[in-house]
Amino acid sequence: MYKARHAWGFLSLPMLLLLIFTFIPSVMAFGLSFTSYNPFRPLEFVGLTNYVDAFQSSLFYSSMWNTIYYWILVTPALVVLPIFVAILVNQKLKGVKLFRLVFYFPVLVSVVVTALLWKWMFAREGIINYFLSLVGFEQIGWLTGSTTVIPALAFVTIWQGFGYYMLFYLASLQGVPKDLYEAAELDGAGFWQKHFHITIPMIKPMIFFVTVISTMGAFKEFTLMLTMTGGGPLNSSTTVVLLVFKEAFERLNMGYASAISFILFAVIMLVTLVNQRLLDKNPNA
Amino acid sequence: MMRKWRTMGLTTMGSALLLLAACGDNAEDNAEASGSNGNAGEANEVADNQSNGDTNATTNASDAELSGEIEFMTLSLLPAFEDYLNNMIADFEEMHPGVDVTLRDVPFEQAEQLVLTQASSGDLPDVMNLNTDFVKQIAAYGALVNMDEAAADVKDDFFEGLWTTGYVNGATYALPWYTTTSGLIYNPDILAEAGFDAPPSTYEEAWEMSQVIYETTGAYGEVVDEQMHMLLPKHDIPTVDEESLTATFNTPEAVELWTHLKEQYDAGLFPDDVMLGQVAMPELYAQERVAWWATGPQLFRQVNDLDPEVYEKSLAAPALLGPAGRQHANPMNISVSSSSDSLDAAVEFAKFVTNAENQLEFGKEASVLPSVAEAAEDPFFAEGEDSEDAMERGRFYAAQQLEDAVNMTPSVEQVSQVNEIIRDSFHRVILEDMDPQVALDQAEAEVNALLQ
Repeated sequence: MYKARHAWGFLSLPMLLLLIFTFIPSVMAFGLSFTSYNPFRPLEFVGLTNYVDAFQSSLFYSSMWNTIYYWILVTPALVVLPIFVAILVNQKLKGVKLFRLVFYFPVLVSVVVTALLWKWMFAREGIINYFLSLVGFEQIGWLTGSTTVIPALAFVTIWQGFGYYMLFYLASLQGVPKDLYEAAELDGAGFWQKHFHITIPMIKPMIFFVTVISTMGAFKEFTLMLTMTGGGPLNSSTTVVLLVFKEAFERLNMGYASAISFILFAVIMLVTLVNQRLLDKNPNA
Repeated sequence: MMRKWRTMGLTTMGSALLLLAACGDNAEDNAEASGSNGNAGEANEVADNQSNGDTNATTNASDAELSGEIEFMTLSLLPAFEDYLNNMIADFEEMHPGVDVTLRDVPFEQAEQLVLTQASSGDLPDVMNLNTDFVKQIAAYGALVNMDEAAADVKDDFFEGLWTTGYVNGATYALPWYTTTSGLIYNPDILAEAGFDAPPSTYEEAWEMSQVIYETTGAYGEVVDEQMHMLLPKHDIPTVDEESLTATFNTPEAVELWTHLKEQYDAGLFPDDVMLGQVAMPELYAQERVAWWATGPQLFRQVNDLDPEVYEKSLAAPALLGPAGRQHANPMNISVSSSSDSLDAAVEFAKFVTNAENQLEFGKEASVLPSVAEAAEDPFFAEGEDSEDAMERGRFYAAQQLEDAVNMTPSVEQVSQVNEIIRDSFHRVILEDMDPQVALDQAEAEVNALLQ
């Protein structure tokens, strides 16, 4: 009882902030999705029109596809690759702290700065094309080609998010009992067998968490596209959240933008539930 | 129970996503905004603030009775012009003791979101410095005062081609403020290497020279940038009809123009990264990868910032002329909120900010041009013809074109979307080899659907 009171005491302020800045605006935004709202017009109820318009819009479908494509490229990489790196930097090696810092460093750089740096590097006259030209490749318009722009953006996201998720796994690895590995070694298990049969099952809750978090991150990515490509060329890097931004703040279609947001919300919920089902019915068990 | 809590957690995270989607900062170097006016931030680089003269527009009897509080929103003018603005406000308050003006400067790229936020709470600034596209967009919702009526007494003071900058739905909703037309900064070394001793004066000449320049030096000449939609009116191809109901750009001349530009692109004469906003023109020019750059002369300074040596040897010339034979001018605008509690005072203040005296003073401070004829007649704008400095010389040429300059943006509230449709259509021709006629047909249909 005493502990519960303390807990409520600690939780009350964050809960209040969440209520004011998250739940109430979300409920209001849901209401707005059934209106033709913009700041200069009185509210007008339009029923499901915004949702119908979204499902009839080719731009909405292409934005959704761009988002899913980006997610397919980003999330598996951010779920799998940091596990191996976390295992490596979890060894007792000389200078391992430096490696941890190096891998984590991109996380410390702001997204806008990262975007500008990579924009220069991906430029036609940029350093990437320069190195490619040394081995005989032609110049590639990484950010000006509709087929290369999403992979290029995904690469930047992986580069920046890598260290972040590595840290999660590293924390999780600290909790794996050493005697499990010792027992496995006595039974003759090799490096890969140990990690496949011990490490992966033991950090499964963290894998699920990283999958959910990186999925959400991928689905709501917006700053990178806005800064590096503006959604171009020809909307080939316009993601759903960027479309929401453009509809809301450039075209003043706030009701329509709210509707798109809730469709995206439903998609993320669905993807998360599928992730949960695939990984484990009860990942925390 | 656990499942319930998990679901709640997911719901919370989803809600946060929505908020993020709705509240993102606009870090974009907005092409449309810079198209409307790219000189607000640039003007900040002028360091010397001078005191404003106090012999401003004469007051009449009714002015003396003005009262109320006015919030004046400017775009990226502080700290560079703080003294100028404060002196101007002090002069106005002295003329109208009952009026209290509060200056609020906002970053250029955040202005639209701030205005929208304030509009949501019913608290728009009384007097607003806005870009042209945004004026047209929000005027259509009745948010701004009709200046044809409220400022009818000063209408004739402005250049005719600029007065209609804020024109939409049959009326003008903004007073033109500081403006610019284009000049041409060029690199004489690149021209000399290609065998030319003078820059081009027309688009036709420019493309002819571009081919020679590219073949002999590897540098570009004429380059199609993000503002390609402006090429249509510059080539005497209007975007929409006078009633703003129908697209008018799908013409044989437009097909010819796009076909010609596609040929130039296929020949390697201009890059796609500038057109798509991946590379900024000042960088390209400072790296000596392009022979000239047509823009507002106040932006020539960017070259100096990037590479003083390149700037030092650069010269200025009049901007290229298209078949329309007129220059496009991009004024900044001063609008008044129609819901202002101090409407009369706000309108009077808007007129005061844009009067000849104050515009001349600001033109001298910021190296921009006035939109009022009387101010433009000042000897200051006739100087610089023989200057060795590209910016000063460019300003002279730009000022010479002011009389005939006109704001060429279409007079529709969906101006940004119309421009975007035209740009996307052109990009399909360039990047996806779409037939120009098919691309224009598609764009025409899209614009017509938008306007009806």
